[in-house]
Amino acid sequence: MNSGPALVSILRQGSTLIASIHTALDDSELVRFRTDLVGQIGEHRCRGVIIDVAALDVIDSFAALTLRTIAEMARLRGARTVIVGIQPEVAFTMVRLGMGTGGIPTALDLEEGLALLTGGADGDRRRS
Amino acid sequence: MTPSQSAEDADLAGDSGRRLAGEDLTELLAIVRRVVGARVGSLPIAEDLVQETLTRVLAAAPSVDPGLLEPYAIVTAKNLVASMWRDDDRKRRNQHRAADLRAPESPEAQALIDEERSAMASALGRLDEHERALLIEHELRGTDTRTIAEEEGTTPGAVAARLSRSRARLRVEYVLGLDSGDPPTDRCRPVLLALSSADRRRQRELDAATHLFNCDFCGRLSEPLLARGQRQDGVLRIPIAADPDIVKARGSVRELAGRLGFSRTDLTVLATAVSELCRNIVRFAGSGELLVELLEEPRPGVRVTARDRGPGIADLEAALRDGVSTYGGLGLGLPGVRRLMDEFAITSEPGAGTTVTITIWGKDPTT
Amino acid sequence: MTQTTSGQHLLSELVAHLREHRTKLREEWAERIQQAHLLTAMTPQEMAAETTSVYDNYVEVLETGSVEALQHYARDLSERIIPRGVETHEVVGIVLLLRDVLARSLFEKYQRDFGLLNQVLDAYEPAANRIANTVAVSFVDERERVIRQQQDAIRELSTPVLPVRERLLILPIIGVLDSDRAKQLTEQLLAGIRRHRARVVVIDITGAPDVDEAVANHLVQTVDASRLMGASVIITGLSPKIAQTLVTIGVDLSKMNTIGDLQGGLEEAERLLGYAVTKKEDATLS
Repeated sequence: MNSGPALVSILRQGSTLIASIHTALDDSELVRFRTDLVGQIGEHRCRGVIIDVAALDVIDSFAALTLRTIAEMARLRGARTVIVGIQPEVAFTMVRLGMGTGGIPTALDLEEGLALLTGGADGDRRRS
Repeated sequence: MTPSQSAEDADLAGDSGRRLAGEDLTELLAIVRRVVGARVGSLPIAEDLVQETLTRVLAAAPSVDPGLLEPYAIVTAKNLVASMWRDDDRKRRNQHRAADLRAPESPEAQALIDEERSAMASALGRLDEHERALLIEHELRGTDTRTIAEEEGTTPGAVAARLSRSRARLRVEYVLGLDSGDPPTDRCRPVLLALSSADRRRQRELDAATHLFNCDFCGRLSEPLLARGQRQDGVLRIPIAADPDIVKARGSVRELAGRLGFSRTDLTVLATAVSELCRNIVRFAGSGELLVELLEEPRPGVRVTARDRGPGIADLEAALRDGVSTYGGLGLGLPGVRRLMDEFAITSEPGAGTTVTITIWGKDPTT
Repeated sequence: MTQTTSGQHLLSELVAHLREHRTKLREEWAERIQQAHLLTAMTPQEMAAETTSVYDNYVEVLETGSVEALQHYARDLSERIIPRGVETHEVVGIVLLLRDVLARSLFEKYQRDFGLLNQVLDAYEPAANRIANTVAVSFVDERERVIRQQQDAIRELSTPVLPVRERLLILPIIGVLDSDRAKQLTEQLLAGIRRHRARVVVIDITGAPDVDEAVANHLVQTVDASRLMGASVIITGLSPKIAQTLVTIGVDLSKMNTIGDLQGGLEEAERLLGYAVTKKEDATLS
């Protein structure tokens, strides 16, 4: 099952973890991803987590729930989470389906996400 | 057979007949030529009719019992010849062919009328008197709808509507006659009729999809009836039994719908809805299946039916209720799916299973 | 069988006849078109060229039975004449006139033998109807395509996504919003956010007179979807009536960034983008 190309990658850069999802994940893969990521947040005592979902062409209720759960668990461990790379169609669909990211900050892409985590001004703009 | 004819046959077979062996096709072609030839001679229109017949038979071939193929071809050819009198149907499907469709007066046509009458006798016998009279007047005597309307003091539109209902019934009786078996349940005939007349609303009312799923008899007979109006190659069955199937299913649906030229947003919306439905199957029923149909009328569309024989949903209303939070209702994601789709229908029986049918329509076809 | 052979024989005789009298019949036809005041938008030269082409295509269909070439030509012709305001009835009219001109000439030729005339007409009529139908359908198809294209163009014009400066988009909504347009508008905005890497979007609805509940709902969805892509949304020009509608459908206005007018909205956008230095320091401190 795990012999193929990596479905996700989790890299550490300073006190930030960058998790990229490379392909569509099924529910059990999402659960494994969540476990791995949350484990590493604790292990590395990270202050920030960026999850890049640009490769996901569908974010359904379970995927959205998984992202929210990760952010919540990260928060409990003292780390802020930013979701980056949500595709335009996916964003529209998520909203119409009645799902959000439950207040997790989002950014256009990795670069913006890093800026959001490091820059105070940017962090402020998302109080709404 | 002249060389040019065989070249044409090969052409036809290569075009859409991959699933039929060459010799079957040759045999079928000969039969169809004979049937059509006996009725219209070899007027230029005859070749059109032969081709049209073969196109339909080939389209239906994968979903028709091989034994039914020959009778089906004959029926189709006869029906097509009969429908030469009514331009509406053909014009709609075949505008480029624009045949002349005046009432024939030649001796061949008279022979056809006689033969048609005997072949259709049993089917006609099962219609009620008004339907029978109307069909004979219009289809066999060639009286046009306006004249009939004037005689009856009604409108041509009303006559056309009645005609189309009567034809639908005639087709059902014809197919029932060919099968020489009585329908096993009371619902079979209404369901077949709704299919034959392509009456979507009625099909939904009767929950035809579920009936077809459960009733082998109708499943078989519905094919020739459906092959009439709808292409069959757009139907896809996807078994759903585990997590990875969900991802595969939404990929397949997206790919299939992509052929209709849906926008990226619509494809994403559809894939997301499919994902939710499949998850419910895996979580609550263990396994089930997805039926994906491409629709053509009145606009391009995709219909997905997700069904399982799981525990069912006891309180449908609660399952469909939209909560304030994301996880409102029973957490089946059904309110969201309903919001995403143009049409949404659900039936569920505790202990017997759940069927959810969703439809999304595209824009008007653009060239 | 014999009937067909004779039918085909008649058809080829007919084709020969029409070829032989091509010039005379074509001129007669052009004259009839003129008398009927059809295709007045065309110059005599164009008329001569097109009628010759149509005539030749017509005879070819009679000869080969294949309408493909004619169909192609009809599409092409339609494409050329539609922009000049030629109407469907004109196109159908000229083809029917040609049918008529040719039928008359057949009458003349075969009037001595009534039986033969009948057979000739029997062979001619179906093909002629088929031609008329082909041309009409091609024309209407083409016309519909042109109309659709124009509609799309108008739609796009009416929902422009304007990049004002780096990272800032303005979406002025002008005119009546229906659900279709609202959906299209959202799609364009979201695509625009990605293309321009926008951080802030100002949606100005001063120019939208009517916002019903469905559209208001859509507006909220647009705001939420933009946020998911990492852009903040400021709504300007919100009339009390529309604000009321939003509240009615359960929108928490305090969670929406609304500013009275576009000017104020732009100032707020610049503040969010950090162009106003003092504000940025404030924000860093908070």
